[in-house]
Amino acid sequence: MYKSVSNLVLEETCGSVRIYTLNRTKQLNALSFAMISRLLELFHACDHDPSVKLIIMKGNGRAFCAGGDVAAVVRDISKGDWKLGANYFRKEFTLNYLMATYSKPQVSFLNGIVMGGGAGASIHGRFRIATENSVFAMPETALGLFPDVGASYYLSRLRGFFGEYVGLTGARLDGAEMLACGLATHFVPLHIIDKCFSRKTVEEIISVLESKAVEHKDEWITSTVQTLKKASPTSLKISLRSIREGRLEGVGECLVREYRMVCCVMKGEVSRDFFEGCRALLLDKDKNPNWQPSRLECVTDEMVDRHFSKVDDIDWEDLKLPPRSNLPVHAIAKL
Amino acid sequence: MSSSSSSTERVALRAQVLSRHLHPSSSSSSSPCLLEPRACLEYSPAELSESIDFDAKAMRKLMDDHNLEDRDWLYGLIIQSNLFNPRDRGGKVFVGPDYNQSKEQQRVMTMKRIEYLAECGVFKGYLTDFSPPSQLRRFALQEVSDSFDHSLSIKIGVHFFLWGGALQFFGTKRHHDKWLSDTENYRVKGCFAMTELGHGSNVRGIETITTYDSDTGEFIVNTPCESAQKYWIGGAANHATHTVVFSQLKINGTNQGVHAFIVPIRDADGNVCPNIRIADCGHKIGLNGVDNGRIWFDNVRIPRENLLNSVADVSADGQYLSAIKDPDQRFAAFMAPLTSGRVILASSATYSAKIGLSIAIRYALTRRAFSLTSNGPEVLLLDYPTHQRRLLPLLAKTYAMSFAANHLKKLYVKRTPESIKTIHVVSSAFKPTLTWHNMRTLQECREAVGGQGLKTENRVGHLKSEYDVQSTFEGDNNVLMQQVSKALLGEYVSAKKKNRPFNGLGLEHMNKPCPLIPSQLTSSILRSIQFQMNIFQLRERDLLNRFAAEVAQHQAQGVSREITFTLTYSLAEDLGKAFADLSIMQIFIEAEEAVPAGHLKNVLGLVRSLYAIILLEEDAAFLRYGYLSTDNAAAVRKEVAKLCVELRPHALALVSSFGIPDAFLSPLAFNWIEANAWPSVEN
Repeated sequence: MYKSVSNLVLEETCGSVRIYTLNRTKQLNALSFAMISRLLELFHACDHDPSVKLIIMKGNGRAFCAGGDVAAVVRDISKGDWKLGANYFRKEFTLNYLMATYSKPQVSFLNGIVMGGGAGASIHGRFRIATENSVFAMPETALGLFPDVGASYYLSRLRGFFGEYVGLTGARLDGAEMLACGLATHFVPLHIIDKCFSRKTVEEIISVLESKAVEHKDEWITSTVQTLKKASPTSLKISLRSIREGRLEGVGECLVREYRMVCCVMKGEVSRDFFEGCRALLLDKDKNPNWQPSRLECVTDEMVDRHFSKVDDIDWEDLKLPPRSNLPVHAIAKL
Repeated sequence: MSSSSSSTERVALRAQVLSRHLHPSSSSSSSPCLLEPRACLEYSPAELSESIDFDAKAMRKLMDDHNLEDRDWLYGLIIQSNLFNPRDRGGKVFVGPDYNQSKEQQRVMTMKRIEYLAECGVFKGYLTDFSPPSQLRRFALQEVSDSFDHSLSIKIGVHFFLWGGALQFFGTKRHHDKWLSDTENYRVKGCFAMTELGHGSNVRGIETITTYDSDTGEFIVNTPCESAQKYWIGGAANHATHTVVFSQLKINGTNQGVHAFIVPIRDADGNVCPNIRIADCGHKIGLNGVDNGRIWFDNVRIPRENLLNSVADVSADGQYLSAIKDPDQRFAAFMAPLTSGRVILASSATYSAKIGLSIAIRYALTRRAFSLTSNGPEVLLLDYPTHQRRLLPLLAKTYAMSFAANHLKKLYVKRTPESIKTIHVVSSAFKPTLTWHNMRTLQECREAVGGQGLKTENRVGHLKSEYDVQSTFEGDNNVLMQQVSKALLGEYVSAKKKNRPFNGLGLEHMNKPCPLIPSQLTSSILRSIQFQMNIFQLRERDLLNRFAAEVAQHQAQGVSREITFTLTYSLAEDLGKAFADLSIMQIFIEAEEAVPAGHLKNVLGLVRSLYAIILLEEDAAFLRYGYLSTDNAAAVRKEVAKLCVELRPHALALVSSFGIPDAFLSPLAFNWIEANAWPSVEN
């Protein structure tokens, strides 16, 4: 049933507060292109409206937002040009940047699933309220994609090498773990995460994890290794490099770089893992993706590099982010 | 009630509470905005007012040249670990040692950081993989640890490059098998005992004396007098278990010159070995993270095998053996491997300058002072021509020095027996040039940021005391520069005597006719590569001719060679500088020519011209010897001002291209107002 966008993003005013509620409950509030466009309009309008002092983001149903509408992106691409997909991400990343550099506080109630694009629409805001129902994850490597929506910026800034762990394994965090990120442990001593996920390459990370698994006989370590081995090898390598580079970049630079990466993925010339991942996990749901290349050793530096270079296409250009002025302190610090 | 609805209720309650905070009170109509306190002076980040007009990532590749991913990995390791003292200032995280700690605490922290890096696998292959790529990786990682803290990189350098290097180059298989892998994983902590209280530059004059006892098959190492105590030995005061000691070797009554021996100085429990005395060098003006010690050897006995015998050996029955008969040549062969220290030092000096300039220029793009119109806003520091004049030429020179350092590193890792001599001369020229440039740059940057430069945490002023030593260790700068003029003279005399063209040390230009300098120097001439090469070649050519003539004159009057050199120091100094400047100019031009046409190449061309022209302005030699007329000198000075104006818009891009992460700069380079705001004061 087609819902007009005014039904997909509900709007409420409460004095100087605007409350925007994602309302696409059957799809766990997955962000469609229309919803992203609407949010951009709303955020731009509020930016210049002196009567607005605060924005609250919520989600109806049992999710805040389960992610971007990647299945729809894949369907669009299969009908026509990869650039239709690129358009989606360009809009989404622009929204992420606007939220990251917003002049007014954004409070997001993460009462439920918050994954992928849902994280992108909330983590960049000033306040994030987690509850006992929160479930956070960046699950892209299992899908042949990589943690995008500015994740290379915020994951890289979690303490130690937790960011690499979360980004590469798609690990799920509950509300308490989200709060504690950086202060307390996950369900395993953090120093093991740091020891393993600080290694320079994905191969070394897995190798150290495997030796730790023997040493410690810990189920968590074994299951982490399994998760990594099931993920797309290409995704793992580009995700690791993305987080490493993001650590040393401002949020705008991160998004510009992630846009190049996601366009390369959309183009599907280096690897078609994204399409295969969506097929196996979202469409056919056989959960048995056939990654190409299937082994880490076969993913060359050259293949990885191509994801970080400008896209070779006459009509393509780098993501252009809007100039921002009157930034609050916390936003300045992100540049 | 289900748990989800109760949590929804709680969520709604929180929203209400927040909403009440923000709903304007009904009492006053002009209530202040509670969320955004208005600052009188607002900080606006440089990124908002400046644009980046060329590919800064590509420029960074030119600056760092090699192992970018390795560098970023190590930057990440440092940023993410609590051991490196991360602190939040103005919303950003910075790393850097706490220099307020006592020297004992700083030394402990330095060692802890090294142990952490060792665990992360940073030093893997340092002493077992000698391929050029591995050597370059080591240089890159040294530069990164240097950017964090000079003490850290010195302590690592002493262990791996001095102690480890001595084992590698002076030792043979038995030393490699016994010590190299233990060194690589820090089971052994090494230091390097060459310098004495009474002898630093003149290594051949050291007074520690070693004799051989053929009955026991042992060497006996002894400190015969107080001036012979080893001094400034990094690592010796607290941690080192072993040292390479340099000593005169007396065999059968004959002094065979300086040789190197391995001496254990501490046992595994950290107790000083018998017959060895160690004292602390004490508090220093900087580098208190390095435990420099003094060592006395009281007839310490070591096995014969502890002689590092790659160049010479002593047989079991006490016969001295060496393939190199000439003691001078033997000493030279001995010292040659130590060039790596000079190479890494030169490069680390450029990184320190880059940090200073990144901070000073970023600050100058956000700090304002005085208005130029009656009601106008205060003007940004870097919009003043004076401020541009102070900082932009130093920026251009730093670009030049960076290319020079990269060239030297490449030369070193690809070295052959034939190129060793050239490397020695080039490193003898570059190390002083780059280290003096660094100190000059840091001083100017400290002044350019005003009072904030006095805060240790702002880095730029503190770097001065940390890097001051660079002009002294690994070869005193003045002594090294003299070696340059001597080497050039040697080549000159040899070419004239054998009546052959100049070949080597970049002197080939002297085989061509003397370059002509136009009497009128327009802007386009001044900026042309041809003119810049010509004038630098002219200076080197003319000074070499003059120097050779003056030396010949003294020697013709019967003055000894050694004394002649002490008398001709003015020309020697000018000549050494001419060689260094010309070499660096040549390297810059080659680097620029390799860049494809476009914005980046254009900006690089401006930087290159500012480098060349500021040298023409600053160095009195050009006027003194008549390479430039006073009119020329006036044109040069005007051109400096023009180039500063043209480079001003690229200032942010040029320092961003250094690739130093924000966390390694200081709060002064970012939101310095927020960093100092009351809420951030620690009680």
